[in-house]
Amino acid sequence: MALTTTLLSSAYLRGRCYRHKVLHPLLGPLLSDSVSKSYSSYRRPGSQPEKKMSWQDIDFSFKKGFDVLKTQLSMLKKETKDYLVGPGGHRLDQYLLEQTKVVWEFRSQEDLNKWVISSDVEIGGKSEVYLQLGRNNQAALLYGTLNTEVPRDGETQYSGYCSMRAKPPMGSFFRKKYYDWSNFNSLYLRVRGDGRPWMINIYTDPYFSHQKDDLYNYFMFTRGGPYWEEIKIPFSKFFLSSRGRIQDDQHPIWLDKVSTLGFTIGDKVDGPFQLEIDFIGLLNDRAHTEEFAYEMYEKNPRV
Amino acid sequence: MNPHAMLVSTLSLLLGTTITISSNHWVMAWTGLEINTLAIIPFISEPHHPRAIEATVKYFLVQATASPLLLFSSMSNAWATGQWDITQLTHPTSCILLTIAISMKLGLVPFHFWFPEVLQGSSMTTALLLSTALKLPPITILLMTSHSLNPTLLTIMAISSAALGGWMGLNQTQIRKILAFSSISHMGWMVVIIIYNPNLTLLTFYLYTLMTTTVFLTLSTTKTLKLTTMMTSWTKTPMLTATLMMTLLSLAGLPPLTGFLPKWLIIQELTKREMTLTATIMAMLSLLGLFFYLRLAYYSTITLPPNTTNHMKQWHTNKTTSTPVAILTSLATLLLPLSPMILTTL
Repeated sequence: MALTTTLLSSAYLRGRCYRHKVLHPLLGPLLSDSVSKSYSSYRRPGSQPEKKMSWQDIDFSFKKGFDVLKTQLSMLKKETKDYLVGPGGHRLDQYLLEQTKVVWEFRSQEDLNKWVISSDVEIGGKSEVYLQLGRNNQAALLYGTLNTEVPRDGETQYSGYCSMRAKPPMGSFFRKKYYDWSNFNSLYLRVRGDGRPWMINIYTDPYFSHQKDDLYNYFMFTRGGPYWEEIKIPFSKFFLSSRGRIQDDQHPIWLDKVSTLGFTIGDKVDGPFQLEIDFIGLLNDRAHTEEFAYEMYEKNPRV
Repeated sequence: MNPHAMLVSTLSLLLGTTITISSNHWVMAWTGLEINTLAIIPFISEPHHPRAIEATVKYFLVQATASPLLLFSSMSNAWATGQWDITQLTHPTSCILLTIAISMKLGLVPFHFWFPEVLQGSSMTTALLLSTALKLPPITILLMTSHSLNPTLLTIMAISSAALGGWMGLNQTQIRKILAFSSISHMGWMVVIIIYNPNLTLLTFYLYTLMTTTVFLTLSTTKTLKLTTMMTSWTKTPMLTATLMMTLLSLAGLPPLTGFLPKWLIIQELTKREMTLTATIMAMLSLLGLFFYLRLAYYSTITLPPNTTNHMKQWHTNKTTSTPVAILTSLATLLLPLSPMILTTL
């Protein structure tokens, strides 16, 4: 696949961002709830390391610590109350009966802050990507320019990608939480693209580090044009890849522990791109009965 | 799986269990536990799904930590007392270490974190083996050494297990995780009485195995892995769904079903030992489990959802009648009137 060959390194798959400002190096961009652009703790191999020690960035302030503690305790209280109501904070009968659910929608800057954008700038490329609210605050506008010019460092062979990735859900005291999408079987997106194909990546944040590059991907082909599209992508179509390489041993995605969703463009075509996203939701399509789209054959059959 | 591999693994499981439960020497007990750990690994990792591999690695790491702890406990006891007899564990450090090792093996609080994840990553049959067969050797060791262990520590762990098993099971939507938390809770009940009346622990274990096997086999027949599938399984197997509800309520300990028997006897024994507070707390904590089982039963059997299933695996339920499931269901729900007979043979 053209798109998969442009997937380069795990740093790209991480969704790390622009290199200028270094946030807390331990937390990284995905765990902060600040503006959805700029921060990165990725240092490209071969570049000069930062002179400032990482601990010199930490702000040892009691007031700030106290505020953080208050915020986390209030989050814990809310979580406990939600736990008493039912799974995910909703009643069990709502969980059992719901057929649609909106997970991300873009109506304010806060919604945009839940996403992180990145491009090949982190490996020395020249693509640009920006994220802002669309007209009337009704959608997110992800736009920029793709530039496939390869950075001249002697080791990179391909370039030209931009991506947007959701920050993983965090519980109180910076615990990792997961989405439970097991009730649904399709992803439902209301988008208005420009005809360029996108790749959708779902990361299920595994426990062990040897699986940390595992990603489930599928493609989203957009129409250009003034009309909004409602794209339904069944989860049975997602295939497993690791560090950009499609795995021989394919498995369907398990939806009970989903961490993040991402969009990537890397179709090797120089030029501007634009994608407006109204909302991203889930659908339990009763007519869709496919369990997994890819048949597995024995790779080394005994003769 | 390759039939040869399946045969070797199954026989190794039986061998490991037999070695441990029939051993008098600590090294033999440890050997049996190790054989069990290694033999179940092909079963857990058999689907080769990334989550199955994750479950396998987690299981292996936990068991591989617990086994050397057990061996170290026996070695320190052998160093202090000069003998390797399982029933004569007298050195205090050894007792604490053994308690920790067995709690890790059994999934008792605070060493329970691995259990729901491992069960969730395995298939239904493997989860059944993990919940029942692989708990037998550690329970046996605990029975043989219970007179030397610290009662306060065991009681605290038991109460915490019952509490956490009930609390964490409340909002689960994946069936295997629900059964994992039910298992943790039942382990708590087994351990709370082990010092005062080990026969009751054994009875609780047998009845728990019976009920859990019934539930797992029923769910395996209806290919149910999550709540929403359980909700729509009535269209395919209405009678099995109804009996599943009764078995779940039995697992929750509701009279007049079988599951009430161990709870009643344990509360009675605790009260006889002047531990009424412990008995009250355990009884209150079992209400949590009862709540989510009742909720499960309500949504799966008593109410009918407005949709039928689109879960393809359920369309091919080929085992409509299964004799073992029928026999086990009858035993899991109707054994309470036989309690006088059971009591006399304890």
